[in-house]
This record gives sequence, structure tokens and C-alpha cells, in this order.
Amino acid sequence: MAGGSDAVEATTLSCAKCGKPAHLQCPKCVELKLPREGAAFCTQDCFKASWSSHKSVHSKSISSSALVNPGEQNTASPNDGWLYCLRKGQSLSPKLPHFEWTGPLRPYPISHRRPIPAQIDKPDWALDGIPKIEPNSDLQHHVEIKAPDQIEKMRETCRIAREVLDAAARVIRPGITTDEIDAVVHEATISAGGYPSPLNYHFFPKSCCTSVNEVICHGIPDARKLEDGDIVNVDVTVYYKGVHGDLNETFFVGNVDEASQRLVQCTYECLETAIAVVKPGVRFREIGEIINRHASMSGLSVVKSYCGHGIGELFHCAPKNIPHYARNKAVGVMKAGQTFTIEPMINAGVWRDRMWPDGWTAVTADGKRSAQFEHTLLVTDTGVEVLTARLPTSPNVFPWLNP
Amino acid sequence: MTKSRRSPSQSTTSLKPEIPPVGVTVITGYLGAGKSTLVNYILSGQHGKRIAVILNEFGEEIGVERAMINEGEGGALVEEWVELANGCICCTVKHSLVQALEQLVQRKERLDHILLETTGLANPAPLASVLWLDDQLEAAVTLDSIITVVDAKNLRYQLKSHNDSSSFPEAYYQIAFADVVILNKVDLVSSDDSGASIEDLEKEIHNINSLTSIIRSVRCQVDLSNILNCRAYDATHATHLEALLEENKKLSTRDLHDSSVRTLCICEQKKVDLDKVRTWIEEILWDKKYGMDVYRCKGVLSVVNSDQLHTLQAVRELYEIVPTREWKDGENRINKIVFIGGSLKEEFLIDSLRACTL
Repeated sequence: MAGGSDAVEATTLSCAKCGKPAHLQCPKCVELKLPREGAAFCTQDCFKASWSSHKSVHSKSISSSALVNPGEQNTASPNDGWLYCLRKGQSLSPKLPHFEWTGPLRPYPISHRRPIPAQIDKPDWALDGIPKIEPNSDLQHHVEIKAPDQIEKMRETCRIAREVLDAAARVIRPGITTDEIDAVVHEATISAGGYPSPLNYHFFPKSCCTSVNEVICHGIPDARKLEDGDIVNVDVTVYYKGVHGDLNETFFVGNVDEASQRLVQCTYECLETAIAVVKPGVRFREIGEIINRHASMSGLSVVKSYCGHGIGELFHCAPKNIPHYARNKAVGVMKAGQTFTIEPMINAGVWRDRMWPDGWTAVTADGKRSAQFEHTLLVTDTGVEVLTARLPTSPNVFPWLNP
Repeated sequence: MTKSRRSPSQSTTSLKPEIPPVGVTVITGYLGAGKSTLVNYILSGQHGKRIAVILNEFGEEIGVERAMINEGEGGALVEEWVELANGCICCTVKHSLVQALEQLVQRKERLDHILLETTGLANPAPLASVLWLDDQLEAAVTLDSIITVVDAKNLRYQLKSHNDSSSFPEAYYQIAFADVVILNKVDLVSSDDSGASIEDLEKEIHNINSLTSIIRSVRCQVDLSNILNCRAYDATHATHLEALLEENKKLSTRDLHDSSVRTLCICEQKKVDLDKVRTWIEEILWDKKYGMDVYRCKGVLSVVNSDQLHTLQAVRELYEIVPTREWKDGENRINKIVFIGGSLKEEFLIDSLRACTL
């Protein structure tokens, strides 16, 4: 097996499984720069056979790499011990990673992991970052019709999620960092007795997503201060009484230019018009047609890589893909008792997205701005109930809602 | 296992529009039918094409998949690793397998085709669903075809061995979903055997799926042009239409017994209403109306108020109806739809399709 110029050298290593001479190396160990002893195998079969025990070497390495020499910090991070997120949250680095940034925004170091009180009911990924129940559940294959008691729980959890998002909305202002927003979300969630679902979901390091300007979604709260003129989306999901409630809104920071105001308002309207058609018998496919129509009318584009999803006792479940773009092959029609999200991401420029080195943050390919709004919905016998709807107490932050 | 040299995290999710997507062929079939032989034949052949083969042990929680690519000097084999993104289903439209394949295409200077070899996968339908992406996504890869390698010597036995009464042996699914069947090891079957002749085997295969093409082979030595760039899921591609429109070809297969997997072709001369057809096909595919189990569906539609011939294509619950080209002058504008599946009910299908005409 040729490998180009950097083939493994001649010093003989022993296969970690059987001890025979080994010439093949585990690619993950190579990537993590782990010692070659213990990472060498004689054949594919030995490698496969030892995989389940061998891979623990990778996760051990990842958690220990978080302790890095603080003296190497980049001048952009004044905070001691805060590091840049890499590999979806599985590793951290003191240095800003190299990347062809598409716009002006850059990642900043992130703070340490926030603790969760012991008595709070947690989903299984809280422990080790890997959801186990979710991917193997039958709820990935058919859309659940929720019983009245489940629906009642959804109402309660979604209401808490709404209140948590409102708490975040109230602190948005120039000068506050997205990390401070995350602290507000985290505290508000645990005060209500809930778990912030994003925390440690596939290693996501924070309790909510904060997506600024050209970030489409899944931005990681960090040390960057919001600036006058920014737009920022805060995406909150709360796990409470065994169910999840998911919503997000895009907010203005200080005085925002007209183009951004139109972008945000149009995105809000895309969600509104999509929700307006939800009722039993409507095809899931239709959502994308409506959103696309409304966005195109305003000369804006629709993000295609991320979609709405079923939600309930699982964070993400069937219907797994509810695309926001037109001419999609989404399967199924809506039925009373189903709960799912619609969460259009609308861009000022092109629809294409790129991913930052942290493995989470999705940005527009052309660096122009993106906005998003999301609700968790329940299909009723006659229409729809917006479980995460604004409350009379919700802060007045959207100018177009004022009569 | 060489180092997987991923370009620094610049993972774009789609290519610039000028580069056509790379075709992905799913290769399925029983162990021992010759899948590995086929793969090795393709990788070592002097055809000038750069082909990546992904050895995808589906269902194994390994996180990295092995890819072998014939690049380097004189087509030498290079082995690579394709890392799956840990199966995070966090509201992404593209399955992690698709993302991994796109990253592979991104990394390589030029890849002409990708083969996905599926060890131990009984039913290729879920894989097809993952790979049959919406055109709108402008993905860097596209599902080209499903190829089933069948062992001529053992086919009869494999078709007859029912593990239990309710499910069919794998062989039925693999043939039903195939766009191409490679009937391998024909040299081991002679016509004065007490068993089947080659012609009999081909008939059995066509009984299940009369749309698939069958290629006879010895040690899987097939002409690559017959199995690459089939574009079986490309609505605009003409060849499959021609087979359907061919007047005299009898596509319906004899009903062996009611529940068996077979092919059924229905026709309707009058133009159909597109909305009604959509509802009709959805009731069949999504609601399993009348207990029918449809695996694949291909059709040509003559639509009211349109000069465009529309094509219908379905794999399990995924379907699309797309205007494809203009009807030619003098062409017989007809609706012709082929169903491959179990418990198909001809009369119901004919009557309910007729109900879609105005």
C-alpha cells in the first residue's frame, strides 16, 4: 500500500492486537499525533478487531489535550485558560486555527464547561458526548403521534424554552460577549430545572448556539463582544420532563443597517408563512416550497444543508428532514399529534455554506449575512399550535411586530 | 492504512457548479457471489479511469471506512481512509456518508467514479435513499446505479430458501432494487445440468425485476462502459425511458403466487392530472394502500395541459415526478408505469390510475 512520500519508517513496531510485526497505523492516532506504539497493526482484521478498545485512546487523548500551556495564548484572548474549539468540541487549542475565512468574523476562545446540578434530569449524551438512545430509536423511522400527556409535557417544556430565550434576548447589547449570553441561557435553564440540550450533544461545548452575522447556525458562544450593527441568532433547546423544546430568534445589536433589517424580517416572515399552512394532510414537502417562494421574492436565498426535524423525547427524530428549499423529496403528510420544528435559514447572498475548523459553525460561503427563526410546532386536528410562541412577557425586540 | 491527509478543515459542502457530480454505484449481492472479484477487476483494469472503492461495512460502528483508489503510477492502488462524521444527525440534510464521499471527491484531483461495496447489507434500499439526493443540493456526488452480483450456481437455492414465511430472502430485495444484475460464474452452470440453464436463471431474475439489465460474466470480467455512468436516477437521462415506451415489450411478469416479488406494468392512454397522480402514488408508497409493498417504480406520464413528457421514479417511499422532455411529433402519448414489489394488485392499480384522468 503506497502512501506517498510520508510512508511509515522502517523501525519495526508490533501489532497492538497480536504482537506480530506491524506496518499499518491507525489514522486517528496519526491525526492526533499519538505515539506510534499502540497505534500499529499488522492487518485490517486486527485493527477492526481491536477497534472498540483501541478507540478509547483517542478520547483519553482529547480530554487531556485540553490542559495546554496558557503561555501560548493568542493576543485576541485576554481570558486565562480559554481555548479555541476544534473537532466538534473534542479538542481545544490555544491558537487560532488556519482557515480561509469567508467573512470578517473569527472564532474566539471559549470558556470552561459549565456545571449542571446533580438533581437535573439529563439526556444520555450529557455524560460522554455521544447520544445512544437517539440514533437507535424506532422514533427515527416513523413519526410519533403524541398522546395528550406527552403533548402537555411538550407545552410545558416549550414554554420554559421560550422563557429562556426571552431571558437571552433581554441581555443582547453591544459589548456583551456571546459567552455571557450562554451563561444567561445556562442559568435560566437550570433554574427552571431543565437541561440545556445542546450541551455536550456530540461534544458541543456550550448550552446554546449563538450565530453572528455570516454564521448560518450552530455558532459556539465565545469571548467575542457583540458590536453595534451585528445581528445575532440565539438557538435554545431545553430538556425537561423527558422532552425537548427547541426555538431560535435573530436579534439586532444596537443600530443595524437596512439590508440586515430586511433580511431578518423576511426570515421571520418565511417562518410565519410556513407555519400558516401547517395542518393535517399537508405534505412536509410543502414547507420548502413556501419558504423558497417567500425568500426568492425578496431576492434572498435559502440554506439547503440544514433542515427542520421531528422532536419530542428525542432531540432530533422523524420526520428527520424537513427541507426549507423547494423541489425536495420529503416523505409524508402531517397528522394531528405530531411535533416538529421549522427553522429556515435565509442568506443575503448565496445559499452555500462552509464549515469552520471547530466542526460546528456553519458560515455563508460568500461571507454575507444570514438570519434564522425557529419554532416547535404541534399539529392539531384543525391546524397548528405554536408551542414556543411569544408570550405577553416576551421582550419587544422586533420592530415589525409593533402596530 | 496510510495517513488520511485531509485538507485543512476547508470542508465545503458542494462543488462549484461547473464540475459534474461524481457517480456512486452501490454494489450488492451475497457473500461469495463475486463482489470482491468485481471490485478488484475494476480497480486493476487498464481503463484510464480513477475510481475509488469504499468498502462500507454498514452497521459496523467503526467510524472510518476503508477506501481503495486506483491512482498513482500506472494505476497503482492507494488505500485511504474516509472518516464518517460520527453520525451526527443534528438537522443536517446530508447523511454523514454523503458528506464523507463529498470530502473524498474534494480531496482528490480527479475522481471519475465511486463504488460503494456493501458487505452484509441485505437490502440496498436504505442506502439508495441516503444517496438519492435532491438535485437542489447540487451535491458533489450522485447515485448512479445499484448493481447486484448474483451467483449463477447458487441463485436458485438462494431464491428458494425462505427463512420464515413473512420475509423474502435477501436475493429478492437485491434483484428487485438492481438497475444492473451481473450474473456471475456462468461457467459453473452448464445446460445439461439437472438444475437451471442460464436462460432459465435470466427469466427468474426478470420475473422479479423485468427492468434490470443482465450481464453474464465469468469472474466478473465485465465491460466497464456497461456498468458505469448508468445515470439510473437521473430524470433527464433517456435510455430508461426508451425501454418503457417501447410498444411491444411485455414488462408485466407472471404472478407466481399473490405475495411474491414481481414486476407489474400498467398503461393508461388518457392524460392524467398531475395532482391526482401525486396523491395516488403517495397513497401507494407512503400508506401502503391495499397492502401492496412497492420497492421500485418507474414510469412515463402524459400530463394534462402539458407538452412535456414527465417521468416518475420511486425507491421505497422516496419518489419524484419531473418534466423531462417534449413529446415528439407522432409519438404515442401514453402513461406507462412499472411497479416492482410484493402483493401487487393489478386491477386496483389500473382502476386507481384511471381515476387520475380527467
